[in-house]
Amino acid sequence: MVECLPTMPPTRSRTELLQGTLDMLILRTLLFGPAHGHEIARHIQRTTDDVLQVEHGSLYPALHRMERKDWIVSSWQRARDRNREFKYYRLTPLGRKQLAHAESKWKQIATAVARVMWPSPIER
Amino acid sequence: MWDELRALAGILPKRRRRLDDLSRELQQHLDLEADEYQASGLSADDARAAARRAFGNPTLVAEDVRGEWNVRWAETLWRDIKHGARTLRKDAGFSLVAVLTLSLGIGANSLIFTALDALLLRPLPFAHADRLVRLYASKNGVVLPVPGGPSPPDARDYAEASRSFDQIVVYDIWRKNVSFTGAAAEPEQMRVGLVPAAYFEALDVQPLMGRLFTEDENHEGRNYVVAISAHLWATRLAGDPAILGRTLRINDEPYTVVAVMPDTIPHWMEAARPGPVEVWTPVAFPSWSSDAARGVRGGSALGRLKPGISLEQAQADLTLIAGRLAAAYPVDRDVSVVVKRLADTRAGTLKPMLFLLMGAVALILLIACVNLANLLLARNATRQHELALRTALGAGRGGLVRQLLIETLLLSAAGAAVGVAFAQLGLAALARSHSANLAQFDGIALDWRVLAFTACIAVLTSLLFGLAPALTATGLNLVDVLKQGGRGVASGRGRALRNALVAVEMAMSLVLLVSASLLVQSIVRLQHQSLGIRQDHLLKGHFYLPPARYPDAAAIARFSDAFSETVRALPGVVDATITTAYPPNNGWLQMLNVARHPVTRLDDVPSAQFGVTDAHFMRTMGIPLVRGRDFSVSDTVERPAVAIVSAEFARRYFPNEDPIGQTIHVGPPPSLQLPAGTDTADSADVTVIGVAGDFRNAGLTNRPEPHLTVLYAQHPLVNFGFKDIVLRTTVEPHLVAPAVTRELHRLDPNLPFAEVQTIEELVDQQTGGQRLTATLLAVFAAGGLALAVVGIYGVVSFLVAQRRTELAVRMAIGASGRTVLWLVLKESLGMAVIGSALGLAAAAAGQRMMSGLLFDVSPIDPLTFSVATLVLLGIAAVATLVPGVRATRIDPARALYQD
Repeated sequence: MVECLPTMPPTRSRTELLQGTLDMLILRTLLFGPAHGHEIARHIQRTTDDVLQVEHGSLYPALHRMERKDWIVSSWQRARDRNREFKYYRLTPLGRKQLAHAESKWKQIATAVARVMWPSPIER
Repeated sequence: MWDELRALAGILPKRRRRLDDLSRELQQHLDLEADEYQASGLSADDARAAARRAFGNPTLVAEDVRGEWNVRWAETLWRDIKHGARTLRKDAGFSLVAVLTLSLGIGANSLIFTALDALLLRPLPFAHADRLVRLYASKNGVVLPVPGGPSPPDARDYAEASRSFDQIVVYDIWRKNVSFTGAAAEPEQMRVGLVPAAYFEALDVQPLMGRLFTEDENHEGRNYVVAISAHLWATRLAGDPAILGRTLRINDEPYTVVAVMPDTIPHWMEAARPGPVEVWTPVAFPSWSSDAARGVRGGSALGRLKPGISLEQAQADLTLIAGRLAAAYPVDRDVSVVVKRLADTRAGTLKPMLFLLMGAVALILLIACVNLANLLLARNATRQHELALRTALGAGRGGLVRQLLIETLLLSAAGAAVGVAFAQLGLAALARSHSANLAQFDGIALDWRVLAFTACIAVLTSLLFGLAPALTATGLNLVDVLKQGGRGVASGRGRALRNALVAVEMAMSLVLLVSASLLVQSIVRLQHQSLGIRQDHLLKGHFYLPPARYPDAAAIARFSDAFSETVRALPGVVDATITTAYPPNNGWLQMLNVARHPVTRLDDVPSAQFGVTDAHFMRTMGIPLVRGRDFSVSDTVERPAVAIVSAEFARRYFPNEDPIGQTIHVGPPPSLQLPAGTDTADSADVTVIGVAGDFRNAGLTNRPEPHLTVLYAQHPLVNFGFKDIVLRTTVEPHLVAPAVTRELHRLDPNLPFAEVQTIEELVDQQTGGQRLTATLLAVFAAGGLALAVVGIYGVVSFLVAQRRTELAVRMAIGASGRTVLWLVLKESLGMAVIGSALGLAAAAAGQRMMSGLLFDVSPIDPLTFSVATLVLLGIAAVATLVPGVRATRIDPARALYQD
C-alpha cells in the first residue's frame, strides 16, 4: 500500500489513504503519555509547525477504530489544568507493538522513496 | 456465576452509553477550541462560531465514528460466522450428528406447534371474534353435553334482559335429504343449519349474493327459503350466476335460494357434529317461541358481546337473569347458564392432549440440547488448546464466548431448516391419516407463524445447549491448559456438569417413556374393551324418510320392513336390523314409569336409554340374551307390546324381583304434575319379555346405562322417519355397501344412504384424538429414548477416553478387567439411578395432567413405572457396557507410551 502525506483536501478517499499514517502519528503522540483528542490534534499541528492539520473528521473515527483494535484504551479523567473531564486515550502494549511495526514500515517506504528521489551516496 | 454473566453482558453492544460518550467527547473538543479562539481575542459568541467552522459538521463526524463501530461489529460478526462455518466443516461428523439431533427436536416442536396454533392460538376467521361466545345450559352446576344450549325461550329472555349482549341466537343442525333440482345427481344427506337471520349477524358474515333471512321467514309456512355456501354453489350448482330464485329440494319440499354465503364458518364450529354445514334454512318451529319450549335445551347457542364487555361481566349478568328465570318457571329450577369464548371451544377435548404433546416435544428438545451440550463439552475440551492460544493472543472472554455461540447458532439454524422439512413430512402423514376426524386441522399448514416459532426456538436452543459449554470452556485457567500441552483436561467442573446433564436426560426420557406407555395402554384398553356386542363385521348406515312422502308410522314401518327384508337376502349378509340404537352411543333418554317406583319429583323419574328397533336387533348385534325370550316377528301391532331390558336396567329398577313379565310405562308417570313444555314423547305400556346383556350406550368410556328396547312395529308414536340399518356380514362389510345402497334406491331413488361405516370404524373415529396422541407420544418417547441412549453412550465413551491413562496405570499395577469395567460402570450407573429417581418423581408429579386422558389405567400405575425404569436402566447399562468393555481392552504399555 502506498501511503501519502496528508496534504490533499479532506475527502473520504483521502481519509482512507491517510489511515495508516494518521494512526501512526496518533500512536506516536500517545507515546508521551495519555492525551485527549484535542491535545493530540494540537500536538501534531504544533510539532509540524502547522504543516499537518489533523481534520477532526478523520481524528475521531481513527481514535475509535484504534480503540476497537485494542491499540489504545480510553477513560474519562479530570484534566490537570481544568475542572472538567476529558476522554483520555492511552497506548496499550498492542498499540506500542503496532507503532513499532508502522514505524519500520514507514521508514522502509521513506528510504525507498528517498533512494529514487535523491540517488546520491549521502543517505543515512 | 457473576463472572459468567458479566462475560455474557460484554458481548452485547452498550450502544446507548457509547453514543452519549461520543457526543460528550466531541462537545468537549468544541469547547476547548472555542476557549482558544476566545483567548486569542474573539468574543465568546464569535469564538464558538469559529470553533464550529474549524471543526466541520459535528453530526457528520459523529456519523463517521459510528460508521467505524458498525463496520467493526459487522466485520467481526462476519468473520466469526466464516470461522464458525469453517470449524464445523472441518468436524463434519460432529456437525452432522448435531444437526440431525437438533432437527429431530426442532421438527417435533414445529409440528406440534402447528397443531397448537391451529387449535388454540390462531384468531378465528370472524370480525371481532373475541366478542363471540357460546352459551351452555347447566343443571345443578353440571353443564349439559355439547351442543347443550339453553332453551329458546330462556335465550330470548337472556337477550331481552341482559345489557352485555348485542345478540343471543339459538339454532340447530339437522340431517336432511337435499336434492339439487335440475342436477342429475341423486339426493344426499346433508347437515342443514336451522338458523334465524341473527345467526349470520352475530357471526358478522355477510352474503356474497342475495340477502339474509327476514324475521317473517322464521314462521312456519314462510320458511321455504335457503342460503347455500359458496363452496356448494361452485361445486354442485356450477356457480350458476342466476342461482338466486332457483329451488333446492330439502326433505322433498322446495326451498327458494335467497343467498350465497362465503365459506367463512369453520368446520369445527359444531363440536357435537364437526364437519361442513353448507345449507341453511330459517328456524320455523312454532313451539320455539312459546313457553312450552322452555325445557327444550340442547340446541346450539351463540352470543355476541357488546364492545368492551368482559366474559366475567357477561357471565355475571346472565347468571343473575337465569336465577330470576329459575324462580319464575318450575322447569328452569336449578338451571343456569355458562358462557365460554367461542375460540376456547375450538380445541375441545383435544386441548389436554395438545398440552401433553407440547410437553413431550419440549422434553425431546431438552434431551437433544443436553446431548449437544455434552458433545460440545467434549469437543470444547479437545479445543482447549486452541481457545487458550487465542486468549493468549489477546482475544477477550466475551469474544470467545461469542465465537462459540455463533457456532452453536449455525448448528441450530441448520437443524431448524432440516427440522422444518421433518415437520412438513409429519404434517403430510397427519393429513393422510386423521384429517377427516379432526375438523380443526382443516387447512393446517406450516406458515410464517410456525416458521417464526421455529426460528425462536432455534435461537433459544442454541443458547440452551451452547452457553454452558462456552462459559465452561472459556473459564479455564490459561496456564493450566498450556502446561498440559495438547492433551485435554477434564476439569472437575466440566465433568460434574456432564454427569448432571446425563442424569437430567435420563429423568426426561423416563417421564416420556412412562407417559407414553400409560397412554398406549389406555388406548389399547379403550380399543379392545367389549362393547357388549360382537363388533366385527357390522356395517351401519343412516337414512331419513321425509314426512312429505312417508306421512305416518305405517308408511315408515312398511318401508323399513321391506328394506331390511331385501338387505337380508343379499349375498354376504347374515342378518340386518332397522334400529335407532347401536353402540357405543345412544342419546335417546326416555322417561319411564316403572311399577312400584312412585315418584313425586321430576328429578326422580326413572329413565333409560331407549331404542326402537325390529325383531332382528339382538341377533344382528350379537347381544347375548341373559333371561327370557328374544323379540319375534310375530310380535306385531295386534299382539301385546313387548320390551327387552338390559341387565343394568333390571338391576336398577327390579333389584329384588324377576323383571320378566313386569310392566313398564313408556313416558312419565301420570301421577307426576309435569311443568308445561316438558318433552314427554310417547305414553304406552310394555311388558318385559327378556333381559339382554349390557352394551355401551353412553359412550366408550362410560359404564353402560339402563337400556330399554321396543319394537317400532308395536309403537307407532315413537316410529319416526330417522332410521339406521345395521347389518352383519360374512365378508368385508364395505363390500356389501353398494348393494345395500342399490336396494334402498330401488325402493326409493330419492333417499340418500349416509354415514356408512363399520362399528369398528365408529369406535376408531371416537378414539381418533387419543390414538393420534398415543401414536405421537410413543414416537416421541422412542425418539427421546434413542437420543438419551446416544447421549449416555457418548458421555461414557468420552469419560473412558479421558481416563485412558489412569485406567492403563491401574491395569499395569494389576487391576483386573472386571475392576476396570466396574470403575467405568459405577459412575454412569450412578447417574442413571439418580436420573431415574428424578424421572419417577417428575412423572408422579405430572399425574394430574395425565389422569384426564387415561382410561382404565392409573396415572401412577406401579407396573408401568417399574417396567419403564428397568427398561431405561437396562438400556443405560448396555450403552455403558460397550465403552466399558473397550476400556478393559486398553493395552497399558501402548496407552502409557503414547502419553
